[in-house]
Amino acid sequence: MENLIDELKLKVIDALNLDGMTAADIEDDAPLFGDAGLGLDSIDVLELIVLLEKNYGIRLASPAEGKEVFKSMAVMAAYVAGHRTK
Amino acid sequence: MKQASILCGASLTDLYRQWAGDYPKFFKMDTLSKLGFLLAEMLVHDEPERFTFREDRAVLVFSREGCVANDRNYARSMQDFPSPALFVYTLPNIVSGEISIRNKWGGESSAFVLESYDEAQIWEIVRQAFQDSRTKSAFVAWIDCPADENYVTNAWLVDKTDLF
Repeated sequence: MENLIDELKLKVIDALNLDGMTAADIEDDAPLFGDAGLGLDSIDVLELIVLLEKNYGIRLASPAEGKEVFKSMAVMAAYVAGHRTK
Repeated sequence: MKQASILCGASLTDLYRQWAGDYPKFFKMDTLSKLGFLLAEMLVHDEPERFTFREDRAVLVFSREGCVANDRNYARSMQDFPSPALFVYTLPNIVSGEISIRNKWGGESSAFVLESYDEAQIWEIVRQAFQDSRTKSAFVAWIDCPADENYVTNAWLVDKTDLF
């Protein structure tokens, strides 16, 4: 799981163009949305939905579902591990 | 009048860690907005009562190239999947909004795209911004960023008493 979390961090940094940020800057359990965490917003959910589909063959039904899946890197990794098709 | 600038080639990430470090949204910004954000941090980091909402400070950002560097990045992303994260920075006035939001400045917030760097025109516009009854100071910046690795910056924190 640890490897998958690190892999996802790098993919999120790349997908969201978080230029200058490293995987070490993102805590596994920190919220991805809101000022307390990574500062992502609803626009970014769209990027993350595409990321899951392209890389792991996971198709989310809606951005609302995405908000649950993208609570933190650890939550996201657990979801990917349980639902990936590639 | 306080003044700040960022030399082309500087590590914006290093400057962020030096001057702010507590605003992860910085990493999502395009280069134009990062430069504006950092210039404002440099000029007001030691102000008392920072982040207290105020309406008496204007944000006036000037450039020649606007957000063309990010526009090109967004156009490139369309070859694969058009990036929403890049799309949201395809307006030249996003930089002034980012600065206003970060600092809780509720005064005038404007971005001007000029044909060239014209000091007389810039300061005439700044003087006009002070003509209302509420504006007492302004963050003024020339941020020209034709490419992510090619930019010129100059910023000032101007009090009304500096001009009148």
